Amino acid sequence: MKRIISSVFISSIVLSSAQLFAQEDQFSTVITPAFSPITWERLVDARNEPENWLMYSGTLDSQRYSLLDQINVDNVDQLEMKWAYQIPVIDRAETVPLVVDGIMFITEAPSNVVAVDARTGREYWRYDHDMPDDLRICCGRNNRGVAILGETLFMSTLDAHLVAIDARTGNLLWDTEVARHDAGYSKTAAPLIVKDKVVTGIAGAEFGIRGFIDAYDPETGERIWRTYTIPGPGEFGNDTWSDDSWRTGGSSTWITGSYDADLNQIYWGTGNPGPDWNGDVRLGDNLYSDSVLSLNGDTGAIEWYFQFTPHDVHDYDSIQVPILADLEISGEQVPAMMWANRNGFYYTLNRATGEFLFGKPFATVTWAEGLDPVTGAPIRVPGMAPTYEGIMVSPPIVGATNWYSPGYSQDTELFYVTSFDGEQEFFKRDEDYEEGERFTGGGGRYTQPMDAYHSSIRAINPKTAEIEWEFPIMPRSPAGITTTAGGLVFTGSADGYFFALDAESGRELWNVSLGARVHAAPMTFSVDGEQYVTIASGNVVYTFGLRD
Amino acid sequence: MSFFSTTNRRTTPLLLAGCILLPGLLSMSTPTSFAEDGGNLYNTAVDIRMGERYFERQCSRCHGFDAKGNDEVGAPDLTGRLRNASTDVGIFNVIRGGVPGTAMLPVAEDVPDPTVWQVVAYLDSLRYDPSSVVLDGDAGRGASLFTGKGECASCHMVDGRGGRLGPDLSRIGEDHTPEDLLLAMTNPNEEVAPRWWTLRVTGTDGVQRQGYRMGEDSFTLRIMDDEENLWHFRKNQIESYERIEESTMPSYEGELSDGELDDLVAYMFSLRREVLPQ
Repeated sequence: MKRIISSVFISSIVLSSAQLFAQEDQFSTVITPAFSPITWERLVDARNEPENWLMYSGTLDSQRYSLLDQINVDNVDQLEMKWAYQIPVIDRAETVPLVVDGIMFITEAPSNVVAVDARTGREYWRYDHDMPDDLRICCGRNNRGVAILGETLFMSTLDAHLVAIDARTGNLLWDTEVARHDAGYSKTAAPLIVKDKVVTGIAGAEFGIRGFIDAYDPETGERIWRTYTIPGPGEFGNDTWSDDSWRTGGSSTWITGSYDADLNQIYWGTGNPGPDWNGDVRLGDNLYSDSVLSLNGDTGAIEWYFQFTPHDVHDYDSIQVPILADLEISGEQVPAMMWANRNGFYYTLNRATGEFLFGKPFATVTWAEGLDPVTGAPIRVPGMAPTYEGIMVSPPIVGATNWYSPGYSQDTELFYVTSFDGEQEFFKRDEDYEEGERFTGGGGRYTQPMDAYHSSIRAINPKTAEIEWEFPIMPRSPAGITTTAGGLVFTGSADGYFFALDAESGRELWNVSLGARVHAAPMTFSVDGEQYVTIASGNVVYTFGLRD
Repeated sequence: MSFFSTTNRRTTPLLLAGCILLPGLLSMSTPTSFAEDGGNLYNTAVDIRMGERYFERQCSRCHGFDAKGNDEVGAPDLTGRLRNASTDVGIFNVIRGGVPGTAMLPVAEDVPDPTVWQVVAYLDSLRYDPSSVVLDGDAGRGASLFTGKGECASCHMVDGRGGRLGPDLSRIGEDHTPEDLLLAMTNPNEEVAPRWWTLRVTGTDGVQRQGYRMGEDSFTLRIMDDEENLWHFRKNQIESYERIEESTMPSYEGELSDGELDDLVAYMFSLRREVLPQ
């Protein structure tokens, strides 16, 4: 770890901002945004300052539900583009920007940040992370966003570092190596602030890593605790891995989790066991892969776990964002967690205890015939494990859904997810672990053109697990979802549309063709009383607002 | 029903079905310390198998287990022509050094050169030198059949001449084996690219229009009807639409003799644009 001391000359920033705006007629009266430090209390209460988008999922419960309603079902067709920011790196953008008091923070591939004015998209500063040339990354040079506490941004980097950046200048404050990138570790997800700690996960399950969730001191970058997602010898669950397979069993944590301040529990999904498609070398349930973990908000100790897919051999990561809400189910108020899993099943859990309440398929599933009504464990269909010759299974490797965020509306009490009905031939291969080399044990192959499959936005009633409506889109869409008090569901599609649906009925209300795949989730904010909605498409970040 | 049509046929892009080569291998700058052209010494059957195993393990996540690429991550299809890495040396250097500024990373430094050459050999095995293929048919007779008895040119264009109701075949020999070409003529429904599916669109007034599926996305449809008119529909402004995932091309099984089919295969296989080695 290295610490770089930076000097922050706020007054000079204010001056330069004033000079900048003075040249722009539209904002000539604006001197500078009132950027105030983000306290933990503000993060806990983030929903009640909907003008800002203060964390990856908007709020700690990750509902992605905004109270803003200026843009609503009656006027959403009046949206027009206000500005576009061209990311100067040709790669897909998976970023969900933050907005703090009129300043937007956008992450770029491979691991850069730019701060822009949220009304104009014009740049204040940028941070370019020094990147080694021997990265070991699974699936693209992705970065999904930053976290903020005080006046500091925190970002995961592809070379498996966690960096702290001054939010006013882009100066690097500290840079901590979380794990060795040359051993296959990398980081792509936005961290989560929990009280006075920066909680963050790790990627690399295709390289035989041993996954973990870490917490860091936001002031110094020093690690406070680490909770491995694969138990070590002598710990509960280590015997669910045959021989020494726990050492290289993956179980990564590459998407941002959620937090319940009342229960003081952090919830975080875990990835596939490794090698992905050859389970012969890791017999057992392979805890805590493909699970959701509840961690104590202070110590990181595991309080409960729920494993969605024991002994997974299809790469069905449980890398989804946990959505938390209190639901009235069968006359009782339940602290619920909603989860549409890559394995094709939707689950409602009790987030206080981890108890399985109920679940059903929300997409085409052939590997399991259902869920045990008591435990929630999958009832497997025999003979669906990958073979040397290949076997057709649904969902395919990319899953019935994946990392892209689902959403929940407090008005409709519906859960929204981008789903995929596809299939793939799964193959098994024999491989030995070598540090820094891929360790996947097989792969998959589509046998039809992608257009022969189906994607859709599905609205699920979390009190019954029934699908209430669906809106078909072209496969395979990897976009997240945001809901608003304006009665809207915003999302995107693989064929480059950004669109809004009626959250109640799924009725199409508005769309715009942006021309490039949408690999990100929308977010919404307001400045000077004007609501905006932002989405990344291709390597451009677009912001829309109502027609003047 | 609200839609737009145009008769400006010259603006119509006719796509070669199944011919999508992404440019991931195009922009590699070649360090001189990398391979220079001494040929690939690691191209035995065992080398190819070893290269395949390495590819499946290290490369297939992006390029696909069948090396046919992945549009989502921008990884190109490696089973066809690699436009700017047309030599083994070029391919070696791309694997060894990666493509700067993209997700195509270099292989680890400790991976020995012979392993990289084995991958090159495996990729080579997915293609072949068409000039080495000896066919029974006669390309000249096949050309006559194409425009004559076979009536292929009534639907297919070659070098700017012919019909619009099927794929342009001007370079069909570059990405299809003779076996593929024979199968396409005798069993056209075996593999139909989505571009050549048929869409049948019913308007809110009950009027139906159908044509080739030139484009479909989440919100719109675009077709070319039998009279070569282009139509655009918004999905929320029509009553319904139906996909017919079959080819409109008739089977030539039994319609032409085996010898005539061989001649047509030879002709179509000859339709290539030769690429000069860099």
